[in-house]
Amino acid sequence: MTQLKYLILVSRQGKIRLKKWYTAMSASEKAKIAKDLTPTILARKPKMCNIIEYSDHKVVYKRYASLFFIVGVTPDIDNELLTLEIIHRFVETMDTYFGNVCELDIIFNFNKVYDILNEMIMCDGSIAESSRKEVLHHVTVMDTMESNDNLERVLS
Amino acid sequence: MGSSLRSFIKDVRGAKTLADERATITKQSAKIRTKLRDDHLPHDKRRLNIQKLLYLYILGEKTHFGQVESINLIASDDFVDKRLGYLAATLLLDGSEDLLTLLTNMLNNDLHHPNKYAVSLALTSLGFLSSPELARDLYPDVENIIKNSKDPFLLKKALQCAAKLIFKDTSLLEIFNIEDITEILCNHSICTHGVLLGVTKILQSILAIGLNREKNDDEGDIDYKNDILSPLSLLLRDFLTRLENLNSKNIEPGYDVQGICDPFLQCEMLYTLKLYFQVGELMDSNSVLDYKDNFCDLLTRIATNTDCTKNSGQAILYETVKTIFSLNLNQPLRVLGVNILAKFLAGKDNNTKYVSLNTLLKVVPQEPTAVQRHRKFISHCLQDSDISIRMRALELSFAILDDSNLVEIINELMKFLAEQDEESKDSVVYTIDHLIDTFDTYVVKDENWKLDVFLNVLKLVGPFINYEKINDILIIINNTAQLSDKSDFLQKLLTISLDGKSAEISDDNIGWQLVLIWCIGEYGGLISSGNTKSNTEVVNESSITDYLLNLQECYTTTNHKIINYILTTSLKLSVKFHDPKNIEKLRQLILHYADSTDLLLQMKSNQYEIFFNQPISTRKIILETMPKFEKITEKQNNVKNISKNLISSGPADLLSDLLNDDSKTDIKPPKSGNVKPLDLLEEIFGEKKNTNDPPKSKENEGSVNLPLPVSADSDVILPPDVPKIHDSTSLNVYASLLSADSGSAHIELFFQAKSPVFDLQIFCAVPRAQKLTMGQLYPSSTIKANQICKQSLKISGSGKMKLRIKLDFHLSGSSSAINEQFDHKFEKTL
Repeated sequence: MTQLKYLILVSRQGKIRLKKWYTAMSASEKAKIAKDLTPTILARKPKMCNIIEYSDHKVVYKRYASLFFIVGVTPDIDNELLTLEIIHRFVETMDTYFGNVCELDIIFNFNKVYDILNEMIMCDGSIAESSRKEVLHHVTVMDTMESNDNLERVLS
Repeated sequence: MGSSLRSFIKDVRGAKTLADERATITKQSAKIRTKLRDDHLPHDKRRLNIQKLLYLYILGEKTHFGQVESINLIASDDFVDKRLGYLAATLLLDGSEDLLTLLTNMLNNDLHHPNKYAVSLALTSLGFLSSPELARDLYPDVENIIKNSKDPFLLKKALQCAAKLIFKDTSLLEIFNIEDITEILCNHSICTHGVLLGVTKILQSILAIGLNREKNDDEGDIDYKNDILSPLSLLLRDFLTRLENLNSKNIEPGYDVQGICDPFLQCEMLYTLKLYFQVGELMDSNSVLDYKDNFCDLLTRIATNTDCTKNSGQAILYETVKTIFSLNLNQPLRVLGVNILAKFLAGKDNNTKYVSLNTLLKVVPQEPTAVQRHRKFISHCLQDSDISIRMRALELSFAILDDSNLVEIINELMKFLAEQDEESKDSVVYTIDHLIDTFDTYVVKDENWKLDVFLNVLKLVGPFINYEKINDILIIINNTAQLSDKSDFLQKLLTISLDGKSAEISDDNIGWQLVLIWCIGEYGGLISSGNTKSNTEVVNESSITDYLLNLQECYTTTNHKIINYILTTSLKLSVKFHDPKNIEKLRQLILHYADSTDLLLQMKSNQYEIFFNQPISTRKIILETMPKFEKITEKQNNVKNISKNLISSGPADLLSDLLNDDSKTDIKPPKSGNVKPLDLLEEIFGEKKNTNDPPKSKENEGSVNLPLPVSADSDVILPPDVPKIHDSTSLNVYASLLSADSGSAHIELFFQAKSPVFDLQIFCAVPRAQKLTMGQLYPSSTIKANQICKQSLKISGSGKMKLRIKLDFHLSGSSSAINEQFDHKFEKTL
């Protein structure tokens, strides 16, 4: 079962590019997690396993080009190997949406990234849609509706 | 500075220094604040500012001032506003805030919106932000979608959302209708993978409530077993078939992951089925358990048919194994599970190795022999380049160790130790700890081999071993039965140290030196008397004496611990060596520290000097070989205490328990046996009885910080007629007012654990006019089931006696802390 605690995207320089929390935590807890994890994960060697233990839970991370995808998971409930698949699916979906996605796409279009993410993962970090096509379809329909809104406004 | 979002992001990224960046951010933040306050701001500008605010959120800046604005955006008729508004609300609001009430109405409206995407946005946001109040208010609207919508897109979201709402407010179970789910499952046209994921979620939610309910013994209004579980079990057959089909399906393009059909859905279904049987077992429900054989068959098929070379397949197999062991299914399945994990270990991927080792560690108690069979793979992981893999392989090696494989495993561990460096100190410490425990637990016939193991340990990782462990090693050496084994051991140590010109042993290998020095003192006589097959050219009285002198010079300012050992050894040798020249050298060595600035050394030197002048017969008695240490292990102690608790009751036991506890603080007192020489020494010197034998003195120091889990096995007894002031799922709390008069009161709180409680921390608060003094939690912060611990409170001051108590603790099996808080008023007033 998937019950992600959070997803943080961090650049190789340690800058946070995106974050989404699926469990209620105080602001200081959130800040501490981001502050602790970034250097730990950046320092890990490429051949090391992608799962680490942190505080009371586990963290699964994966590097894609210059970005680290860091996911906090619930011990005993989440399946760490499946979490890696979820990250991968997310990356694939963005890749199709942006067409060969890169870090800059994510930096400048963070709200699109959130839109994609929210179609995939809902509530307490549970996976809601496993098909990439399905996610992309609905995101693009919503995008068109937005531009139609704009168009109408211009015309009126 | 530009005004678009893009230029804002560019400015922040372009900042040359941190200060520049800060300035840009502060300036923009202030600007956004002002803009958002402007009621006449056009929509597009409003959106722009909220977008900028979201960027600030990602940067970790304060964004609270935009919360209301983002909610207002939701109310707009334009979809573009709504979409951004919902996104901002889900990111910027916390579930706990009052602002959520503001949202209720908007969510309610949008859940009935003609545009399905507005509905979907509302469902997604409700899923993220739901509070118990929102759950109660909006569940009917969500249910309405589940009942009536034929759109898989909305359906999947409504199901996910409902799952969360039911979990937030369990009373919603009463109105939840299982037939809605059955209907969805029957309708093929709407039953997409997304919808199925939603169905699994809602079932998981309901079943998890069932699991918790029974644990809490909650007297709800619903009969869970009959009203919920029985109808729910009607779906079981359907679920089993679906999972089977999914697993055997070859390729379905949209859902394929490396040749595996929708691993996400497969795992969710497996997890749901697991919950089914957990609840079924808990409630002893035949309607569920009847399917258990079918489930086992299915698991076997999944385990054999799923491709285990790709991560996606491994994820399913891993989920299968987790299911097998958490339900503790039949033995063939368990063995199959262990074999799958072993296959993971044999692979190249470190992630599968990691989960495999972790899981194997958990299942060793259930299936020890099956795990042992894969020792080769486990040992192989000891050589992995990843420390977390190595560490787990190490733990697992000790977990599967028993009489049958002791020698092989320890030999492998030696290989492991040989490869460790400074960075992996933790794993070395862990190995030594457990190695010592192992030799305490298992009887090793070949003691010569055992000593060789320690010789190797010292050689390899001597510099990293701490003093306490050195003592444990000395005890093991001392307790070796055959004198010849011990002298052989010393012989080997000496040969390496003297002959090889210390090339093998570096100066910072304090562990090696300490053991060597101690052994020279104890067994040096055996060597010099020629009892052993020693190489007298290298190892003889003079060379040993010179070696000690050398060492002494080498460490004279750097390590007083070694000097202490050398002094004692020199004293011991005075009765064991024969050559007066050497004895005189040793005496000089001792004298050398008579005016040392180190008080301890000075004292020792002077005392030993006096001692040196005693007639040899007196000295011989005192410097006899060390007797065997009796090491009282923790285990014995615990067993004793537990059995004691079973029979003991009454206040008299409190005292004995107190004493018992005391004796526990020095768990390994090597006091037996050497009473006689000690007494003599005490007569001579009066004080400082610890200095004469190094291991003992160290042992006493060491025992203070032994990291023993002091468990609460003393029994505090709940006095009669003490009122219960708090009753939760894990603890009962009682309060007894012992005294209350003129400005001060004495209260005792009793905490009774329903299931084992760890690390209990108690925080109390009293009204401002009063002062609170808290005693220590007795007997400990760890309480076993049904045991009690006591906390005394003294309150001084005036006014009504009110207490606010906050409890922090852990339950076994869960690593997250639990908080409980409650208030209590006493009738008396100070």
